[in-house]
Amino acid sequence: MVDLSIILAGFGDAFSLTNLLFVLGGVVLGQFVGAVPGIGPIMAMAIAIPFTFALDPLVAISFLVGVNKGGLVGGAVPAVLMNTPGTPDAAATAMDGYPLAKQGKPLKATKMALFASVTGDTFSDIVLITVSAPLAVLALRMGPIEIAALMIFAFSVLAGLIGNSLTKGILAAALGLLVASIGTDPEHYTPRLIFGYWDLFDGLPLPSVAIGMLAISEIIRRMSQSHGRVQSAIVLTETDDPDDRRVSWAEYWSCRYTMLRGAVIGTIFGALPGIGSTAAAFMSYAFTKARSKDPSSFGKGNLHGIAAAESANSAVVGSNLIPLLTLGIPGSVSAALIISAFMIHGMQPGPLLFETQGRLVYGLFGAMIMANFINLWVGQLGLRLWVKVVSAPESIIFSSAILLCFVGVSMATNGLFGVAIMLIFAVLGYLMSSFGYPLVIFIIAFFLGPRFEKSISQSLALTNGDLTQVYKSPVAVALLVLSVVSFFWFLSRGKEAQE
Amino acid sequence: MSASADRISGTLFLLFGLVLYFHIIPTYVEVAEGGNLSPDTMPNIIAIVLAVGGAFLVLKPTDHRTENLRVFAVTAAYVFVLASGIYGMSWFGFEYVAPPLAFVIMWMIGERRPAWLVAGVVLMPAFIWFLVIHALGRALP
Repeated sequence: MVDLSIILAGFGDAFSLTNLLFVLGGVVLGQFVGAVPGIGPIMAMAIAIPFTFALDPLVAISFLVGVNKGGLVGGAVPAVLMNTPGTPDAAATAMDGYPLAKQGKPLKATKMALFASVTGDTFSDIVLITVSAPLAVLALRMGPIEIAALMIFAFSVLAGLIGNSLTKGILAAALGLLVASIGTDPEHYTPRLIFGYWDLFDGLPLPSVAIGMLAISEIIRRMSQSHGRVQSAIVLTETDDPDDRRVSWAEYWSCRYTMLRGAVIGTIFGALPGIGSTAAAFMSYAFTKARSKDPSSFGKGNLHGIAAAESANSAVVGSNLIPLLTLGIPGSVSAALIISAFMIHGMQPGPLLFETQGRLVYGLFGAMIMANFINLWVGQLGLRLWVKVVSAPESIIFSSAILLCFVGVSMATNGLFGVAIMLIFAVLGYLMSSFGYPLVIFIIAFFLGPRFEKSISQSLALTNGDLTQVYKSPVAVALLVLSVVSFFWFLSRGKEAQE
Repeated sequence: MSASADRISGTLFLLFGLVLYFHIIPTYVEVAEGGNLSPDTMPNIIAIVLAVGGAFLVLKPTDHRTENLRVFAVTAAYVFVLASGIYGMSWFGFEYVAPPLAFVIMWMIGERRPAWLVAGVVLMPAFIWFLVIHALGRALP
């Protein structure tokens, strides 16, 4: 277990003035971009990663966590005001938030979303802090055979859960692994698929692939769809009653079970790779509506609807880091981006992280808790400002984001070669999402690819090339059996859906 | 495009997997003697998965629909502009290419209001220049 002095030192680092200022900056940036439809925290994180190179690892990762958490709060603003969620996670929030805003209570709706979001997020962070260290101790007992089997299981689950086709999920994973194999192979260190470009000797640059696939491809899509027309500003109506501009303690307290249920659902969904916060929000909303004494009021501006959706989608953020920190497996795009930030700073997330970088991990935990309080504070002060942000035209947002991506990737890869690669992956990302291939699986496979191949190589070395030795590891056998079972289960589910 | 979208992408994956297996991997992956895992083992397995997956998608397409050809054409135009911007930056640098690039993008989106155009074409590149050169102390492309 991690020494108490390391835990305290980590929390001390988190509460340093510099770190708190960067968390604050991250939360403000996250809420800002979350409020702009079409940008969102994922794109903001992708753009911000290269700019965090010069920072201390804890400060950089805390900043990105701030962006992610702030983005979830900000995403509720356009969902409530325009029925246009800033992030997919906020789609369920719009179901009751928008009707409430139309009744002249936009601030009540956005404040309820803020309070529920912070409540769910804090619950999830507490679970993360208490559960991850013991899980990491268990994960340390896993050898290369178990790790390879675990990754095969993760791929099979992700391919089945994300998107609407198992085949497309497998193809996206295979493509991600192929792209990850560019560079030198992990055993012989011979060049592979570099086509004479020695810049590719160390593999494709992480920022180029991540930003191209996640940010530029989405910007290109949005620009193509809004080509020739600039989105107009929104017109808000508000009542004169001050009670309609705030959430009273009685109203908040009446939603306590709804928020607790949402937080539990979000935490469970977040800990399982690939399910994501959107599913958690809709599941929590559906549960709350089903258990309500007045289900007909849902969809007409019920505060419980907003509380259910927001507490669940925000609870995913904390528990998403459980598989990342304990096993080194990112369960979502935001976790994959955080893993890339770890790797950029020379750290490999996984169970060893608690031993080698315990202070940093607990610093991160401290920063996450602080980010929740800052989120609440900034949200209280900034909601009126974010309402104005919603009306900013996409033309300036997208052109600025593109320039920032160009500069960020150029700095991260030391030249325009990385920017050109970013554009290639932007086109690939655009085509993949246009044809219904899940980008999340591609990105996760790309991140895990080198480790996956290395685990297989080490497993073969341990077993002298005799794969039947795998049967001596009950954990690996169980994971491989689960992989096969989940593969056929998702296959049969897909057939049922088609019928 | 209708359900044939899956057949198109499936065919592309099938062909890509075959070209990868029979031409690209033998040509561009160096052969190494000994060891447990040859450098071409993983790419070969992936190529087979891509080809088989593509074939499966051709035979069993989903009802996924994608954008119409006009949107793809507009996207191609944006990609051309961005590629030209990268090429231009390699010759003239960010300072000279960023403002016209931002202008073309904003104009293509449909922005015609002078105030927003000035903000996007002048203020934003100037802010990025200040951030990178003075605040971060790094070089622009």
